Amino acid sequence: MGDKDANISADELQYVQYQDDKEELYLPAIRQLISKDLSEPYSIYVYRYFLYQWGELCYMALDANNTLIGVVVCKLEPHRSGTFRGYIAMLAVQEAHRGKGIATKLVCMAIDAMAARDADEIVLETEVTNTASLKLYERLGFLRSKRLHRYYLNGNTAFRLVLYLKPGTATKKPHGDLNGNVGEEQGIREAHPTLDGTHVP
Amino acid sequence: MDPKMDGGFLQPGETLEDNYDTLKALLPEEVLGIMDQLLCHEMAWHTGNPLSQTLFTSVYIDKILWPEPKTLEQAQFYRGEVSDSRRPDLLLEVLRAYCLALIKCCDFVIAKVTSRDYFEEEDFCTHTYNRVLFVQVPIDVFLRELDVAVESLQDPDLSISADLCEAIITRLEFRKHFLTALDLDCPLEHLDRYWPPISSHLSSINSTYHLGKPVPGSFSTKIQRRLASTVPPRPIVELDFKDAFSKLQQLCLDCEEGTRFTHLSPDPLEYQSFLWAFASRTPTPLPYARSYLANILFHPNTLNTSTTLPLTDLQCLIFTCSPVLDPQNWALSPPLNPLLPKPLRHQLALIIDEFIERTGQNYLELWTALGQNRSRLRRMLNHVILGWDQLQVDANTLDEEIMAVVKEMQVQEQVLVYPLTTWVYHKKLWMIEKIVMLGFEQDIYLPDEFAGMYGFLERVARRRVDLLSNIYAHYEEQEKQYLRAKPPKLEMAAEVEGAARYIESLLAEATGVCELSGALFRFYTVLLYLRLLPTPNRPFSTPELRYELRMKPFLTLSPPEVPPFEEHHEQLHGFGPYDNPEPSLLLALQNPISELWKGIEDGIKRAKDSFSQLKKLGPKAAKVEGVDKAWGKEVQGALASCIALGVAVVGIKTAVKECDENGKVAVKVEIPEMGSGKRYAEGWVVGKVVKE
Repeated sequence: MGDKDANISADELQYVQYQDDKEELYLPAIRQLISKDLSEPYSIYVYRYFLYQWGELCYMALDANNTLIGVVVCKLEPHRSGTFRGYIAMLAVQEAHRGKGIATKLVCMAIDAMAARDADEIVLETEVTNTASLKLYERLGFLRSKRLHRYYLNGNTAFRLVLYLKPGTATKKPHGDLNGNVGEEQGIREAHPTLDGTHVP
Repeated sequence: MDPKMDGGFLQPGETLEDNYDTLKALLPEEVLGIMDQLLCHEMAWHTGNPLSQTLFTSVYIDKILWPEPKTLEQAQFYRGEVSDSRRPDLLLEVLRAYCLALIKCCDFVIAKVTSRDYFEEEDFCTHTYNRVLFVQVPIDVFLRELDVAVESLQDPDLSISADLCEAIITRLEFRKHFLTALDLDCPLEHLDRYWPPISSHLSSINSTYHLGKPVPGSFSTKIQRRLASTVPPRPIVELDFKDAFSKLQQLCLDCEEGTRFTHLSPDPLEYQSFLWAFASRTPTPLPYARSYLANILFHPNTLNTSTTLPLTDLQCLIFTCSPVLDPQNWALSPPLNPLLPKPLRHQLALIIDEFIERTGQNYLELWTALGQNRSRLRRMLNHVILGWDQLQVDANTLDEEIMAVVKEMQVQEQVLVYPLTTWVYHKKLWMIEKIVMLGFEQDIYLPDEFAGMYGFLERVARRRVDLLSNIYAHYEEQEKQYLRAKPPKLEMAAEVEGAARYIESLLAEATGVCELSGALFRFYTVLLYLRLLPTPNRPFSTPELRYELRMKPFLTLSPPEVPPFEEHHEQLHGFGPYDNPEPSLLLALQNPISELWKGIEDGIKRAKDSFSQLKKLGPKAAKVEGVDKAWGKEVQGALASCIALGVAVVGIKTAVKECDENGKVAVKVEIPEMGSGKRYAEGWVVGKVVKE
């Protein structure tokens, strides 16, 4: 990757939705790009877990040579709180291309896709020290809802960020459970990559 | 093959096992070095890292524990037979004694942590990977090993330099005292004896650290491959000695502080103050210290008091000298004929018994929450509060019954209206305030949310002020009645007077919170109008949706504490939209004695007066005698925040006087970050106005 390539702006890239039949083409690149920024080991199964079920919520930024520059991986499913919850699982942009709004664009596409599929809310976690990532999401409308002590395997603390897409989300109840659900605090954790480098302007 | 996923993956030239020889003779400085390395790993474990990446990376520890020794005799740096020439020498035996005691320390720590609420991995990793940490071996055995080691080093014929020898002995002595303090069977009444002797060794450990020589080869990540896991070895957690030592110091200090709990008077309100102060200590207490305190708190000796703890609390806040809690009520029996009505006093006793029984769980939940790490404390309070909300519904029903009974007894003027509800509601409001303050403390809110959240806090605290004012008026009236009685009931009057002091203290505190948050709400609203706070454009969100998210923990509470969005929005937009304010705004801002500024400045003054009053009433009235210093600091922090806000207000007033025709001011506002030492109180975030 030469410096010349790094000069292309966010708009000159091609933004495409992931497709199952292109796994061989894209998955190795996605793994490589994400694992570079990850502190936690992710097996091929973690990627497949997301991509097999919610491939349509994965967006990629490709340059003219079809090289993967950035990627966002999400899921969307009923949450035990009763909401239909979107989750941004992984986000990464090649280091040389950071600061150009590529990550923002990818996240926006993912949010649009989840909103179109009727999501009530979208959540994610990010390290409390990852200012760039916090800024990115907070500019879009996310709020910090919780601080999660030693959330990551490396001992770092996280913020949970939440974006409500529909009114009435806060008071939704799980189906068939009129007493509400307080299971959230019992220590169940989702897959959570540590992404150090989603630098944005 | 993926080196991140595959446990058996070897880099070119890498071997699967180590070939470090644990029987090779060590220099005294190496023994010292290893002891300190082990201490670093021990503290790294205490801060939440798994044993596999800390202590269990030591080849010596591994040799002792695996294969599992059947007896302590077998727990050696070797297994089976060794030739005489290979037998461990004196220094290796000393190191072994240290390691054995260290392992037993871990066993005690795990037992204590797991005996109370804690969260695996988040707080602490208790996993021992099928290694048995001498669970069955009593403490005396380890103490004896340490004693023998110390004696062997005191042999005058030994050719080890005196300072090295002394340094090693200090570490053995430290380990002895530390192990003793961690012992699970320490009697509650003598707990405070165990920590001071440890502290006396700490400084000499620190001052002789430089004498040691680390032996990096005696620690290895490869051992992880045998610790019943398929994931590849993760790096050794390196905590340097300076940090490890300060963690150790902190651990000892916090535990010592925890033992002061045993000296508190058996008063749940003193307990609550103590728990709050302990949870607020900086640096935040390590998981072991929190478990240590929780074990004292939940010890049967603490909980089994003659009067149950919730009842003491209830009596103090609501029922001092009240006919409802008259001990004689409990002396009556139901009539033999079940068809006859029960005596009225007996009915009161039954109602109270039912209520106290019902509160037990809620009380314990609150205390458990207060013992968690600070992030979880905030989240857990969100759930605890729901239980108290439900309790309030039940209290309301029982209150109806109480009111009916006391009316029939013709003593209703001696009983506060809706007493149980008042008590529950007060606790609930206190928790909401803490949740919001913790949100500020933990940087949960973004600067453009400050106005709204402090506005909400003001509202909640105002309700608590009203509630407390009622109780205070009731106690004052009671006191008068007792004094007016013929003959005057002086003892009861004095008792009610004492209770009123507590209410007065609570009232001063609640008023302070209410007024300061109110002033901050108005101040930050001004900053929003002046566009001095970063405000993201948030294309995917609306103010309504964000308000709903923020109010989520409180939306279901009854009575409802959350105002409708329209009301909230109006409160924040007194002068119209931020980007197009009414012209009256600039006039108000530029007039130093306008209602706008007066509102803020009077609020700050009232807040200051209230916190000063709180300080003057003192720790006894506030029921914080056990933690008077920490409490004093907290009140001082609130007072300093009032002053800081006053300064910031002056800064803005000056700036708007000099603003350009568009109302643009030449200052910026810096928000002090959490934990940076720039806030006078972590929950009171006061922006600093600086010239641009």
